[in-house]
Amino acid sequence: MSSVSALAAALSVESLKLRRSLIARVAGLLLIVLVPTVSVGAVALARSPLAVGAASAKLAPYSTGDLVATHLLVCGQVLSIGSLFAAGFVLAWSFGREFESGSAGALFALTVPRATIALAKALVVLAWSGLCVLVTVALTLAASAAVAASAGASFAGAWSGAGIALASGLLGTGLALPFGWLATITRSQLGTVGCLVGVVALTQIVVLLGGGPWFPYAVPSLWTGMGGAASAAAIGLPHLLTAAAVTPVSLFLIVHSWRRLTNV
Amino acid sequence: MIGLHIDDVSHSFAGRVALDHLTVVIPPGQVTALIGLNGAGKTTAMRTLAGRLHPTAGQVRVLGHDPARLPPRIASRFGHLVDAPLVYPELTVAENLGCAARLHGAVKRDAALMASATVEAMGLASWRHRPARSLSMGNRQRLGIGSATLHRPSALILDEPTSALDPKGVVLVRELIRNLSAEGAAVLVSSHHLDEVARIADEIVVLHDGREIGRLEPGGTDLEQRFFAMVLDADVRATDARGRRRS
Repeated sequence: MSSVSALAAALSVESLKLRRSLIARVAGLLLIVLVPTVSVGAVALARSPLAVGAASAKLAPYSTGDLVATHLLVCGQVLSIGSLFAAGFVLAWSFGREFESGSAGALFALTVPRATIALAKALVVLAWSGLCVLVTVALTLAASAAVAASAGASFAGAWSGAGIALASGLLGTGLALPFGWLATITRSQLGTVGCLVGVVALTQIVVLLGGGPWFPYAVPSLWTGMGGAASAAAIGLPHLLTAAAVTPVSLFLIVHSWRRLTNV
Repeated sequence: MIGLHIDDVSHSFAGRVALDHLTVVIPPGQVTALIGLNGAGKTTAMRTLAGRLHPTAGQVRVLGHDPARLPPRIASRFGHLVDAPLVYPELTVAENLGCAARLHGAVKRDAALMASATVEAMGLASWRHRPARSLSMGNRQRLGIGSATLHRPSALILDEPTSALDPKGVVLVRELIRNLSAEGAAVLVSSHHLDEVARIADEIVVLHDGREIGRLEPGGTDLEQRFFAMVLDADVRATDARGRRRS
Protein backbone atom coordinates (compact mmCIF):
# COMPACT_ATOMS: atom_id res chain seq x y z
CA MET A 1 0.00 0.00 0.00
CA SER A 2 1.49 3.35 -1.05
CA SER A 3 1.63 6.37 1.28
CA VAL A 4 -0.96 8.14 -0.86
CA SER A 5 -3.45 5.26 -0.74
CA ALA A 6 -2.83 4.87 3.00
CA LEU A 7 -3.63 8.57 3.51
CA ALA A 8 -6.71 8.24 1.27
CA ALA A 9 -7.96 5.30 3.38
CA ALA A 10 -7.31 7.17 6.64
CA LEU A 11 -9.05 10.30 5.30
CA SER A 12 -12.05 8.22 4.30
CA VAL A 13 -12.30 6.62 7.76
CA GLU A 14 -11.73 9.85 9.69
CA SER A 15 -14.19 11.87 7.59
CA LEU A 16 -16.87 9.21 8.23
CA LYS A 17 -16.19 9.39 11.98
CA LEU A 18 -16.41 13.20 11.85
CA ARG A 19 -19.68 13.10 9.89
CA ARG A 20 -21.19 10.87 12.58
CA SER A 21 -19.80 12.99 15.44
CA LEU A 22 -22.33 14.78 17.62
CA ILE A 23 -19.78 17.33 18.82
CA ALA A 24 -18.82 18.25 15.23
CA ARG A 25 -22.50 18.67 14.31
CA VAL A 26 -23.20 20.89 17.32
CA ALA A 27 -20.01 22.95 16.97
CA GLY A 28 -20.56 23.43 13.22
CA LEU A 29 -24.20 24.37 13.67
CA LEU A 30 -23.38 26.88 16.42
CA LEU A 31 -20.74 28.51 14.24
CA ILE A 32 -22.90 28.65 11.13
CA VAL A 33 -26.06 29.89 12.87
CA LEU A 34 -24.76 32.02 15.72
CA VAL A 35 -22.01 34.00 13.98
CA PRO A 36 -24.17 35.48 11.16
CA THR A 37 -26.96 36.15 13.68
CA VAL A 38 -24.61 37.91 16.09
CA SER A 39 -22.91 39.82 13.24
CA VAL A 40 -26.14 41.31 11.90
CA GLY A 41 -27.83 41.52 15.32
CA ALA A 42 -24.98 43.34 17.10
CA VAL A 43 -24.81 46.03 14.39
CA ALA A 44 -28.59 46.43 14.38
CA LEU A 45 -28.58 46.78 18.16
CA ALA A 46 -25.67 49.25 18.10
CA ARG A 47 -27.59 51.44 15.66
CA SER A 48 -30.92 51.26 17.42
CA PRO A 49 -32.18 53.40 20.28
CA LEU A 50 -32.49 50.19 22.36
CA ALA A 51 -28.73 50.14 23.02
CA VAL A 52 -28.24 52.05 26.24
CA GLY A 53 -25.80 51.97 29.14
CA ALA A 54 -23.08 49.31 29.14
CA ALA A 55 -24.38 47.67 25.97
CA SER A 56 -24.25 50.97 24.14
CA ALA A 57 -20.63 51.54 25.21
CA LYS A 58 -19.61 48.00 24.20
CA LEU A 59 -21.35 48.26 20.83
CA ALA A 60 -20.22 51.82 20.09
CA PRO A 61 -17.58 50.76 17.52
CA TYR A 62 -20.39 49.25 15.41
CA SER A 63 -22.74 52.22 15.60
CA THR A 64 -21.23 54.14 12.69
CA GLY A 65 -19.56 53.36 9.37
CA ASP A 66 -20.46 51.30 6.34
CA LEU A 67 -23.25 48.86 7.28
CA VAL A 68 -22.07 45.80 5.34
CA ALA A 69 -18.41 46.32 6.25
CA THR A 70 -19.40 46.52 9.92
CA HIS A 71 -21.41 43.26 9.67
CA LEU A 72 -18.36 41.53 8.27
CA LEU A 73 -16.07 43.18 10.82
CA VAL A 74 -18.15 41.64 13.62
CA CYS A 75 -18.23 38.34 11.74
CA GLY A 76 -14.42 38.29 11.54
CA GLN A 77 -14.05 39.20 15.21
CA VAL A 78 -16.43 36.47 16.41
CA LEU A 79 -14.95 33.92 13.99
CA SER A 80 -11.42 34.58 15.25
CA ILE A 81 -12.44 33.05 18.60
CA GLY A 82 -15.40 30.93 17.46
CA SER A 83 -13.42 28.90 14.93
CA LEU A 84 -10.66 28.35 17.52
CA PHE A 85 -13.18 26.98 20.00
CA ALA A 86 -15.11 24.90 17.45
CA ALA A 87 -12.03 23.30 15.91
CA GLY A 88 -10.36 22.98 19.33
CA PHE A 89 -13.30 21.08 20.81
CA VAL A 90 -13.51 18.75 17.81
CA LEU A 91 -9.74 18.12 17.86
CA ALA A 92 -9.89 17.38 21.60
CA TRP A 93 -12.63 14.85 20.85
CA SER A 94 -11.01 13.34 17.75
CA PHE A 95 -7.63 12.67 19.37
CA GLY A 96 -8.57 12.37 23.06
CA ARG A 97 -11.40 9.88 22.57
CA GLU A 98 -9.05 7.31 21.07
CA PHE A 99 -7.12 7.18 24.35
CA GLU A 100 -10.10 7.40 26.68
CA SER A 101 -12.00 4.61 24.90
CA GLY A 102 -8.86 2.52 24.41
CA SER A 103 -9.26 2.39 20.62
CA ALA A 104 -5.83 4.08 20.23
CA GLY A 105 -4.32 0.67 20.96
CA ALA A 106 -6.28 -0.86 18.09
CA LEU A 107 -4.71 1.68 15.72
CA PHE A 108 -1.26 0.10 16.18
CA ALA A 109 0.30 -2.31 13.68
CA LEU A 110 -2.27 -1.62 10.97
CA THR A 111 -1.51 -1.46 7.25
CA VAL A 112 -2.31 2.24 7.42
CA PRO A 113 0.33 3.58 9.86
CA ARG A 114 -0.96 5.36 12.96
CA ALA A 115 1.02 8.52 12.06
CA THR A 116 -0.95 8.62 8.78
CA ILE A 117 -4.18 8.18 10.72
CA ALA A 118 -3.19 11.10 12.99
CA LEU A 119 -2.38 13.27 9.96
CA ALA A 120 -5.77 12.38 8.46
CA LYS A 121 -7.50 13.31 11.72
CA ALA A 122 -5.88 16.75 11.68
CA LEU A 123 -6.55 17.35 7.97
CA VAL A 124 -10.18 16.30 8.24
CA VAL A 125 -10.85 18.67 11.16
CA LEU A 126 -9.00 21.49 9.38
CA ALA A 127 -11.10 20.92 6.24
CA TRP A 128 -14.33 20.68 8.25
CA SER A 129 -13.61 23.86 10.21
CA GLY A 130 -12.46 25.68 7.06
CA LEU A 131 -15.73 24.72 5.35
CA CYS A 132 -17.74 25.90 8.37
CA VAL A 133 -15.89 29.25 8.28
CA LEU A 134 -16.58 29.60 4.55
CA VAL A 135 -20.30 28.85 5.00
CA THR A 136 -20.47 31.21 7.99
CA VAL A 137 -18.96 34.10 6.02
CA ALA A 138 -21.22 33.33 3.04
CA LEU A 139 -24.33 33.33 5.24
CA THR A 140 -23.22 36.57 6.91
CA LEU A 141 -22.73 38.10 3.46
CA ALA A 142 -26.19 36.95 2.41
CA ALA A 143 -27.84 38.26 5.58
CA SER A 144 -25.91 41.50 5.28
CA ALA A 145 -26.92 41.90 1.64
CA ALA A 146 -30.59 41.45 2.59
CA VAL A 147 -30.31 44.05 5.39
CA ALA A 148 -28.37 46.45 3.14
CA ALA A 149 -30.93 46.10 0.33
CA SER A 150 -33.83 46.87 2.66
CA ALA A 151 -31.96 49.85 4.14
CA GLY A 152 -30.77 51.08 0.75
CA ALA A 153 -27.15 50.86 1.92
CA SER A 154 -24.10 50.27 -0.27
CA PHE A 155 -22.66 46.74 -0.67
CA ALA A 156 -19.26 48.01 -1.82
CA GLY A 157 -17.36 47.19 1.38
CA ALA A 158 -18.51 43.58 1.41
CA TRP A 159 -15.70 41.75 -0.36
CA SER A 160 -12.69 43.09 1.51
CA GLY A 161 -14.56 42.58 4.79
CA ALA A 162 -15.48 39.04 3.76
CA GLY A 163 -11.85 38.32 2.91
CA ILE A 164 -10.65 39.48 6.32
CA ALA A 165 -13.41 37.53 8.10
CA LEU A 166 -12.51 34.41 6.11
CA ALA A 167 -8.79 34.80 6.87
CA SER A 168 -9.52 35.42 10.54
CA GLY A 169 -11.66 32.27 10.78
CA LEU A 170 -9.05 30.19 8.97
CA LEU A 171 -6.31 31.51 11.25
CA GLY A 172 -8.45 30.55 14.27
CA THR A 173 -8.89 27.07 12.76
CA GLY A 174 -5.15 26.64 12.30
CA LEU A 175 -4.45 27.88 15.82
CA ALA A 176 -6.68 25.09 17.15
CA LEU A 177 -4.37 22.39 15.78
CA PRO A 178 -1.98 22.35 18.79
CA PHE A 179 -4.93 21.06 20.82
CA GLY A 180 -4.89 17.88 18.74
CA TRP A 181 -1.29 17.45 19.85
CA LEU A 182 -2.18 18.32 23.45
CA ALA A 183 -4.95 15.70 23.42
CA THR A 184 -2.30 13.18 22.31
CA ILE A 185 0.06 14.20 25.10
CA THR A 186 -2.56 14.46 27.86
CA ARG A 187 -4.65 11.54 26.49
CA SER A 188 -7.68 13.43 27.79
CA GLN A 189 -10.52 15.31 26.07
CA LEU A 190 -11.44 17.32 29.12
CA GLY A 191 -7.80 18.15 29.92
CA THR A 192 -7.40 19.47 26.37
CA VAL A 193 -10.55 21.58 26.58
CA GLY A 194 -9.21 22.97 29.88
CA CYS A 195 -5.97 23.93 28.10
CA LEU A 196 -7.99 25.61 25.34
CA VAL A 197 -9.88 27.74 27.84
CA GLY A 198 -6.61 28.49 29.62
CA VAL A 199 -4.94 29.67 26.40
CA VAL A 200 -7.86 32.01 25.65
CA ALA A 201 -7.57 33.46 29.18
CA LEU A 202 -3.80 33.78 28.80
CA THR A 203 -4.33 35.62 25.53
CA GLN A 204 -6.32 38.30 27.35
CA ILE A 205 -3.46 38.78 29.82
CA VAL A 206 -0.80 38.90 27.09
CA VAL A 207 -2.82 41.51 25.18
CA LEU A 208 -3.23 43.59 28.36
CA LEU A 209 0.54 43.48 28.83
CA GLY A 210 1.09 44.66 25.25
CA GLY A 211 2.57 41.46 23.82
CA GLY A 212 -0.43 40.67 21.61
CA PRO A 213 1.06 41.20 18.14
CA TRP A 214 3.67 38.48 18.73
CA PHE A 215 1.36 36.08 20.56
CA PRO A 216 -0.21 33.93 17.80
CA TYR A 217 -3.52 33.41 19.65
CA ALA A 218 -4.05 37.19 19.94
CA VAL A 219 -3.26 38.01 16.31
CA PRO A 220 -6.61 37.18 14.58
CA SER A 221 -8.66 39.11 17.16
CA LEU A 222 -6.36 42.12 17.15
CA TRP A 223 -6.18 42.09 13.35
CA THR A 224 -9.97 42.24 13.07
CA GLY A 225 -10.06 45.23 15.44
CA MET A 226 -11.18 43.71 18.72
CA GLY A 227 -8.50 45.71 20.50
CA GLY A 228 -9.31 48.91 18.63
CA ALA A 229 -8.08 50.52 15.42
CA ALA A 230 -4.57 51.20 16.75
CA SER A 231 -4.02 47.56 17.77
CA ALA A 232 -5.36 46.40 14.40
CA ALA A 233 -2.93 48.70 12.59
CA ALA A 234 -0.05 47.21 14.59
CA ILE A 235 -0.65 43.77 13.07
CA GLY A 236 1.44 43.32 9.96
CA LEU A 237 2.36 40.47 7.66
CA PRO A 238 5.09 39.07 9.99
CA HIS A 239 2.57 38.76 12.82
CA LEU A 240 0.02 37.06 10.57
CA LEU A 241 2.67 34.68 9.22
CA THR A 242 3.76 33.83 12.78
CA ALA A 243 0.17 32.89 13.66
CA ALA A 244 -0.19 30.91 10.42
CA ALA A 245 3.06 29.03 11.12
CA VAL A 246 1.42 27.37 14.14
CA THR A 247 -0.48 25.06 11.74
CA PRO A 248 2.43 23.29 10.00
CA VAL A 249 4.42 23.11 13.25
CA SER A 250 1.44 21.46 14.97
CA LEU A 251 0.95 19.04 12.09
CA PHE A 252 4.57 17.97 12.46
CA LEU A 253 4.22 17.57 16.24
CA ILE A 254 1.04 15.49 15.90
CA VAL A 255 2.51 13.13 13.31
CA HIS A 256 5.79 12.85 15.25
CA SER A 257 3.97 12.12 18.53
CA TRP A 258 1.78 9.43 16.99
CA ARG A 259 4.76 7.82 15.27
CA ARG A 260 6.58 7.57 18.62
CA LEU A 261 3.50 6.66 20.65
CA THR A 262 4.03 3.88 23.19
CA ASN A 263 2.56 2.44 26.40
CA VAL A 264 -0.96 2.51 24.97
CA MET B 1 9.34 -17.87 9.55
CA ILE B 2 8.01 -17.75 13.12
CA GLY B 3 4.57 -16.16 13.22
CA LEU B 4 4.73 -14.64 16.70
CA HIS B 5 7.84 -14.52 18.85
CA ILE B 6 8.29 -13.21 22.39
CA ASP B 7 12.00 -13.57 23.02
CA ASP B 8 13.23 -13.30 26.64
CA VAL B 9 11.02 -10.29 27.27
CA SER B 10 10.94 -8.45 30.58
CA HIS B 11 8.95 -5.36 31.46
CA SER B 12 8.30 -3.33 34.59
CA PHE B 13 5.73 -0.67 35.39
CA ALA B 14 7.12 1.81 37.95
CA GLY B 15 9.36 -0.85 39.49
CA ARG B 16 6.70 -3.57 39.51
CA VAL B 17 7.68 -6.54 37.37
CA ALA B 18 4.96 -7.30 34.81
CA LEU B 19 6.95 -9.69 32.59
CA ASP B 20 10.02 -11.62 33.67
CA HIS B 21 12.15 -13.21 30.91
CA LEU B 22 9.15 -14.58 29.01
CA THR B 23 9.76 -16.56 25.85
CA VAL B 24 6.95 -17.82 23.63
CA VAL B 25 7.39 -19.02 20.05
CA ILE B 26 4.32 -19.59 17.87
CA PRO B 27 4.96 -21.11 14.44
CA PRO B 28 2.46 -20.83 11.56
CA GLY B 29 -0.61 -22.99 12.03
CA GLN B 30 -0.33 -23.19 15.81
CA VAL B 31 -2.73 -21.84 18.42
CA THR B 32 -1.05 -20.98 21.72
CA ALA B 33 -3.01 -19.95 24.77
CA LEU B 34 -1.74 -17.78 27.61
CA ILE B 35 -3.50 -18.50 30.85
CA GLY B 36 -3.00 -17.04 34.30
CA LEU B 37 -4.70 -15.18 37.10
CA ASN B 38 -5.49 -11.47 36.85
CA GLY B 39 -2.24 -9.48 36.75
CA ALA B 40 -0.20 -12.48 35.57
CA GLY B 41 1.13 -10.52 32.57
CA LYS B 42 -1.02 -11.92 29.73
CA THR B 43 -2.25 -8.57 28.45
CA THR B 44 1.17 -6.95 28.89
CA ALA B 45 2.72 -9.69 26.76
CA MET B 46 0.07 -9.14 24.10
CA ARG B 47 0.55 -5.37 24.17
CA THR B 48 4.25 -5.81 23.46
CA LEU B 49 3.35 -8.07 20.51
CA ALA B 50 0.95 -5.45 19.14
CA GLY B 51 3.74 -2.85 19.28
CA ARG B 52 1.88 -0.85 21.91
CA LEU B 53 4.53 -1.25 24.58
CA HIS B 54 8.33 -1.31 24.23
CA PRO B 55 9.58 -4.03 26.57
CA THR B 56 12.29 -3.06 29.06
CA ALA B 57 14.39 -6.01 27.84
CA GLY B 58 14.19 -8.67 25.16
CA GLN B 59 12.46 -8.39 21.83
CA VAL B 60 9.20 -9.27 20.14
CA ARG B 61 8.66 -10.17 16.52
CA VAL B 62 5.54 -10.44 14.36
CA LEU B 63 6.20 -12.36 11.15
CA GLY B 64 9.88 -11.61 11.69
CA HIS B 65 9.48 -7.85 12.21
CA ASP B 66 9.39 -5.40 15.11
CA PRO B 67 5.65 -4.77 15.65
CA ALA B 68 6.27 -1.13 16.59
CA ARG B 69 7.53 -0.52 13.03
CA LEU B 70 5.75 -3.04 10.85
CA PRO B 71 6.12 -2.48 7.12
CA PRO B 72 2.61 -2.14 5.56
CA ARG B 73 2.93 -5.43 3.61
CA ILE B 74 3.59 -7.26 6.91
CA ALA B 75 0.97 -5.30 8.87
CA SER B 76 -1.63 -6.34 6.28
CA ARG B 77 -1.07 -9.95 7.48
CA PHE B 78 -1.38 -9.16 11.19
CA GLY B 79 -4.48 -8.85 13.36
CA HIS B 80 -4.89 -8.08 17.04
CA LEU B 81 -7.56 -7.40 19.61
CA VAL B 82 -6.15 -6.49 23.01
CA ASP B 83 -8.38 -4.59 25.46
CA ALA B 84 -10.52 -2.23 23.35
CA PRO B 85 -11.50 -3.26 19.80
CA LEU B 86 -11.25 -1.21 16.61
CA VAL B 87 -14.90 -0.24 16.98
CA TYR B 88 -16.46 3.23 17.14
CA PRO B 89 -19.85 3.55 18.84
CA GLU B 90 -21.22 6.18 16.46
CA LEU B 91 -20.62 4.02 13.37
CA THR B 92 -22.89 1.20 12.28
CA VAL B 93 -21.74 -2.42 12.32
CA ALA B 94 -21.17 -2.37 8.54
CA GLU B 95 -19.38 0.99 8.69
CA ASN B 96 -17.10 -0.21 11.49
CA LEU B 97 -16.13 -3.29 9.51
CA GLY B 98 -15.67 -1.21 6.35
CA CYS B 99 -13.34 1.15 8.24
CA ALA B 100 -11.39 -1.76 9.68
CA ALA B 101 -11.00 -3.23 6.19
CA ARG B 102 -9.72 0.09 4.82
CA LEU B 103 -7.21 0.41 7.67
CA HIS B 104 -6.10 -3.19 7.00
CA GLY B 105 -5.28 -2.08 3.46
CA ALA B 106 -8.38 -2.95 1.41
CA VAL B 107 -9.47 -0.63 -1.39
CA LYS B 108 -12.96 0.86 -1.08
CA ARG B 109 -14.86 -1.75 -3.12
CA ASP B 110 -13.08 -4.71 -1.52
CA ALA B 111 -13.66 -3.17 1.93
CA ALA B 112 -17.42 -3.16 1.35
CA LEU B 113 -17.35 -6.81 0.26
CA MET B 114 -15.17 -7.81 3.22
CA ALA B 115 -17.46 -5.95 5.62
CA SER B 116 -20.53 -7.63 4.19
CA ALA B 117 -18.97 -11.10 4.39
CA THR B 118 -17.83 -10.50 7.98
CA VAL B 119 -21.28 -9.27 9.04
CA GLU B 120 -22.65 -12.64 7.92
CA ALA B 121 -19.75 -14.70 9.28
CA MET B 122 -19.96 -13.12 12.74
CA GLY B 123 -23.74 -13.53 12.92
CA LEU B 124 -24.37 -9.78 12.95
CA ALA B 125 -26.71 -9.51 9.93
CA SER B 126 -29.67 -8.32 12.03
CA TRP B 127 -27.59 -5.42 13.37
CA ARG B 128 -25.82 -4.51 10.12
CA HIS B 129 -27.15 -0.93 10.04
CA ARG B 130 -27.33 -0.38 13.78
CA PRO B 131 -24.77 1.87 15.51
CA ALA B 132 -22.23 -0.10 17.53
CA ARG B 133 -23.27 1.75 20.68
CA SER B 134 -26.64 -0.03 20.57
CA LEU B 135 -25.12 -3.54 20.51
CA SER B 136 -25.04 -5.89 23.46
CA MET B 137 -21.63 -6.60 25.02
CA GLY B 138 -21.48 -9.96 23.25
CA ASN B 139 -22.32 -8.59 19.83
CA ARG B 140 -19.85 -5.77 20.37
CA GLN B 141 -17.20 -8.40 21.05
CA ARG B 142 -18.18 -10.27 17.89
CA LEU B 143 -17.81 -6.99 15.97
CA GLY B 144 -14.37 -6.37 17.51
CA ILE B 145 -13.20 -9.87 16.58
CA GLY B 146 -14.61 -9.38 13.08
CA SER B 147 -12.67 -6.11 12.75
CA ALA B 148 -9.44 -7.81 13.82
CA THR B 149 -9.79 -10.85 11.55
CA LEU B 150 -11.69 -9.78 8.41
CA HIS B 151 -8.45 -9.63 6.41
CA ARG B 152 -7.63 -13.29 7.28
CA PRO B 153 -4.34 -12.53 9.08
CA SER B 154 -1.31 -14.84 9.13
CA ALA B 155 -0.52 -13.79 12.71
CA LEU B 156 -3.26 -13.04 15.21
CA ILE B 157 -3.47 -12.14 18.89
CA LEU B 158 -6.77 -12.12 20.76
CA ASP B 159 -7.07 -11.13 24.40
CA GLU B 160 -10.01 -12.85 26.14
CA PRO B 161 -11.90 -13.30 22.85
CA THR B 162 -14.84 -15.17 24.38
CA SER B 163 -15.25 -13.30 27.69
CA ALA B 164 -18.65 -11.75 26.86
CA LEU B 165 -19.94 -14.25 24.30
CA ASP B 166 -22.95 -16.52 24.54
CA PRO B 167 -22.40 -20.25 23.82
CA LYS B 168 -23.21 -19.75 20.12
CA GLY B 169 -20.70 -16.92 19.91
CA VAL B 170 -18.07 -19.05 21.68
CA VAL B 171 -18.49 -21.80 19.08
CA LEU B 172 -18.36 -19.24 16.27
CA VAL B 173 -15.09 -17.72 17.54
CA ARG B 174 -13.61 -21.16 18.22
CA GLU B 175 -14.31 -22.16 14.60
CA LEU B 176 -12.90 -18.88 13.33
CA ILE B 177 -9.65 -19.42 15.25
CA ARG B 178 -9.33 -23.05 14.17
CA ASN B 179 -10.03 -22.09 10.53
CA LEU B 180 -7.42 -19.34 10.57
CA SER B 181 -4.96 -21.74 12.14
CA ALA B 182 -5.74 -24.34 9.46
CA GLU B 183 -4.99 -21.64 6.86
CA GLY B 184 -1.54 -21.28 8.45
CA ALA B 185 -2.04 -18.46 10.93
CA ALA B 186 0.00 -18.28 14.14
CA VAL B 187 -2.53 -17.46 16.86
CA LEU B 188 -2.02 -16.33 20.45
CA VAL B 189 -5.10 -16.16 22.68
CA SER B 190 -5.53 -15.45 26.34
CA SER B 191 -8.44 -16.70 28.35
CA HIS B 192 -9.78 -17.42 31.80
CA HIS B 193 -12.06 -20.12 30.35
CA LEU B 194 -9.87 -23.18 30.74
CA ASP B 195 -12.39 -25.50 29.07
CA GLU B 196 -12.44 -23.21 26.07
CA VAL B 197 -8.65 -23.01 25.98
CA ALA B 198 -8.46 -26.80 26.05
CA ARG B 199 -10.66 -26.93 22.94
CA ILE B 200 -8.82 -24.41 20.76
CA ALA B 201 -5.17 -24.41 21.84
CA ASP B 202 -2.33 -26.63 20.64
CA GLU B 203 -0.17 -25.39 23.49
CA ILE B 204 -0.96 -23.74 26.82
CA VAL B 205 1.54 -21.42 28.53
CA VAL B 206 0.86 -20.71 32.21
CA LEU B 207 1.89 -17.25 33.42
CA HIS B 208 2.14 -16.22 37.05
CA ASP B 209 3.59 -12.95 38.35
CA GLY B 210 4.93 -12.18 34.87
CA ARG B 211 6.84 -15.48 34.59
CA GLU B 212 6.14 -18.64 32.68
CA ILE B 213 5.69 -21.30 35.35
CA GLY B 214 5.03 -24.17 33.00
CA ARG B 215 3.10 -25.54 30.06
CA LEU B 216 -0.03 -27.69 30.07
CA GLU B 217 -1.21 -30.30 27.62
CA PRO B 218 -4.58 -29.17 26.24
CA GLY B 219 -6.16 -32.63 26.50
CA GLY B 220 -7.71 -34.19 29.59
CA THR B 221 -10.51 -33.18 31.89
CA ASP B 222 -8.47 -31.95 34.83
CA LEU B 223 -6.99 -28.81 33.26
CA GLU B 224 -8.29 -26.54 36.01
CA GLN B 225 -6.80 -28.79 38.69
CA ARG B 226 -3.41 -28.92 36.94
CA PHE B 227 -3.45 -25.13 36.47
CA PHE B 228 -4.10 -24.40 40.15
CA ALA B 229 -1.53 -26.98 41.27
CA MET B 230 1.05 -25.26 39.08
CA VAL B 231 0.15 -21.79 40.44
CA LEU B 232 0.22 -23.04 44.04
CA ASP B 233 3.58 -24.70 43.52
CA ALA B 234 4.98 -21.45 42.05
CA ASP B 235 3.70 -19.47 45.05
CA VAL B 236 5.24 -21.95 47.53
CA ARG B 237 8.59 -21.83 45.74
CA ALA B 238 8.52 -18.02 45.63
CA THR B 239 7.74 -17.86 49.36
CA ASP B 240 10.58 -20.31 50.13
CA ALA B 241 13.00 -18.29 48.02
CA ARG B 242 12.07 -15.07 49.84
CA GLY B 243 12.53 -16.84 53.19
CA ARG B 244 16.01 -18.09 52.20
CA ARG B 245 17.04 -14.57 51.09
CA ARG B 246 15.93 -13.10 54.46
CA SER B 247 17.81 -15.75 56.48
